[in-house]
Amino acid sequence: MELGKFLLMRQELLLTAIILVLLCAEIFLSREKKAMIIPISIGLFALQTALGFIPGDYGQLFGKMYQNTALTHFMKNVLNIGVLVVLFQSASWIKRDLIEQGRGSEFYLLIFSTLLGMYFMISAGDFLMFYLGLELSSLPIAALAAYDIYRKKSAEAGIKFILSAAMASGVSLYGISMIYGVTGSMFFDEIAQSFSYGALEILALLFFMAGLAFKMSLVPFHFWTPDVYEGAPTNVTAYLSVVSKGAAAFILAIILFTVMKSMAVVWKDAVYILAALTMTIGNLFAMRQKNMKRFLAFSSVAQAGFLLLGLMAAAQMGMAAILYFVLIYVFSNLGAFGVVQAISFVTGKENMDDYNGLYRTNPKLSLVMLLSLFSLAGIPPVAGFFGKFFLFVSAASEGYYWLVVIAVLNVIVSLYYYLLVVRAMFLRTSDNPIPYIKSDNLLRIGLAICVVGVLVVGLYSPLYQYIFELGGKF
Amino acid sequence: MERIIFYILAAVIVTFSFLSVTSAKILRAAVYLFLVLIGIAGFYFMVGYHFLGAVQLTVYAGGIVVLIIFAILLTEQIDNRLARPKAGMVIASAMLALLGIGVSVYSILNHVFDKKIAGQLATVDDIGTKLLSFDAGGYVLPFELISILLLAAMIGAIVIAKRPIR
Repeated sequence: MELGKFLLMRQELLLTAIILVLLCAEIFLSREKKAMIIPISIGLFALQTALGFIPGDYGQLFGKMYQNTALTHFMKNVLNIGVLVVLFQSASWIKRDLIEQGRGSEFYLLIFSTLLGMYFMISAGDFLMFYLGLELSSLPIAALAAYDIYRKKSAEAGIKFILSAAMASGVSLYGISMIYGVTGSMFFDEIAQSFSYGALEILALLFFMAGLAFKMSLVPFHFWTPDVYEGAPTNVTAYLSVVSKGAAAFILAIILFTVMKSMAVVWKDAVYILAALTMTIGNLFAMRQKNMKRFLAFSSVAQAGFLLLGLMAAAQMGMAAILYFVLIYVFSNLGAFGVVQAISFVTGKENMDDYNGLYRTNPKLSLVMLLSLFSLAGIPPVAGFFGKFFLFVSAASEGYYWLVVIAVLNVIVSLYYYLLVVRAMFLRTSDNPIPYIKSDNLLRIGLAICVVGVLVVGLYSPLYQYIFELGGKF
Repeated sequence: MERIIFYILAAVIVTFSFLSVTSAKILRAAVYLFLVLIGIAGFYFMVGYHFLGAVQLTVYAGGIVVLIIFAILLTEQIDNRLARPKAGMVIASAMLALLGIGVSVYSILNHVFDKKIAGQLATVDDIGTKLLSFDAGGYVLPFELISILLLAAMIGAIVIAKRPIR
């Protein structure tokens, strides 16, 4: 094999190199200079994100175990943007709390290795690589969730995550072992040819889907979500709810649309039920939450339900709708989490009542939150509307009108609770409002990226055109 | 003869896995798990996968179970007994488990598997070559990915466990 061919996996190689550089930096930086790790990590990762947009060759490597297409490449770029924003938002937290405790660079190492796992998961050409990617993308997250070791809730989040993740992996592996038993192959393209309708095949498919449904926290696999989201440090929660969920959605769409194509009758029924349940139950629980992190946790459960609508469509249209929705979701959800992070970092307040009268003291943060929530709710001028619109259109294009009706009803319910937060910030007054918060420049950059994304992605239509063309290339 | 050995091994595995998850004492559960893993190694030897059988014995039965027992002894949880769950929960979860077994067994028994005659049995030589080969059928990519997975898991474990610098 020519060495030049390794450039096909340029994103993976670069990220591995960054991990190794950070490892060395951690060893050789003296205790006083440990804070240097923050600009090094952010700088290197910004480079990685930028280089991802340079076009190059696509193809397969290692006997089809690894495949990189224009589509998977773009998916990784979307994840990169999400991680970059998380890194910007977390810088001040790492500087104040973690460097002091001597645990700063490990945070970056763990984040990057989970991202590497997601890369390989999306680019997998067989179930072995898929499974290893899945493990690499979820195992270190348990450590990240328990990062705030002085808080009992954080430790609880870590142990809850690792136990439920192990359970989900086990179920998924059982399904994969059945798929191997039926087809005699681990490779996606060979399975796609010989996988046919039968009782064992259906069981295998459902077991396999359950594992990914756990990662995306679809109802009824969502029980871990609120506790882990509340207990984990805010930045880890943001990462978990956006990047990790997006990666799982991508690989679920790829596998269902290609490998399990012949079973579409079966999995469309399963996805129908999952989508209806996830949207409805996520919304009903989100209405009752008082803690902002739990509130965003349930709202992100509901968002994953909307995302499933894309799977009901024909491959190209559905893939494009999902990719587009995740791109928008990255900006809007990270915007909301960024504001929560900015406020809880300085004041430690995380409850919805604490946000009363926020507009009077912190107008800019309130506006960012407003835009993000409008985008999550899907109110027209901002991007979220277009994301949901294309998902609904793709489900309707195959005649699933009732599902679209359920989804639209759920959008109305979700408007109610998103507006609760808006009302607290803009209309309510408080005797004891949150004082003016001066956020650091990196957090500002992170929030600015989100705002630009929320405003631009929806209105700049060539982007959707581009994504739609990518949707056909896998 | 082979059939008899198969059923003995299967009975060992099923009994001890059941005991392992129902035992209230954690050290006993670990020992039952050890016996399950040995039973699985027996299967590998039966179908002629000697290398895999040996790996199963040394790594799983030898290494991992010993690690688990060490962890139990170090955390001093050995005297703690698991609280008994309520009868209602036991019945409900037993019914669910039986339903799951029923569905799985029904669909596995009703499936006609392609019978394949095992080809040339792999020698350690072949396994080594395949593990590090990057052509079709080689496994160097997953091999390397696992090394990153282990590195990340190790860093994660240390970060949580180490005493913070004051």
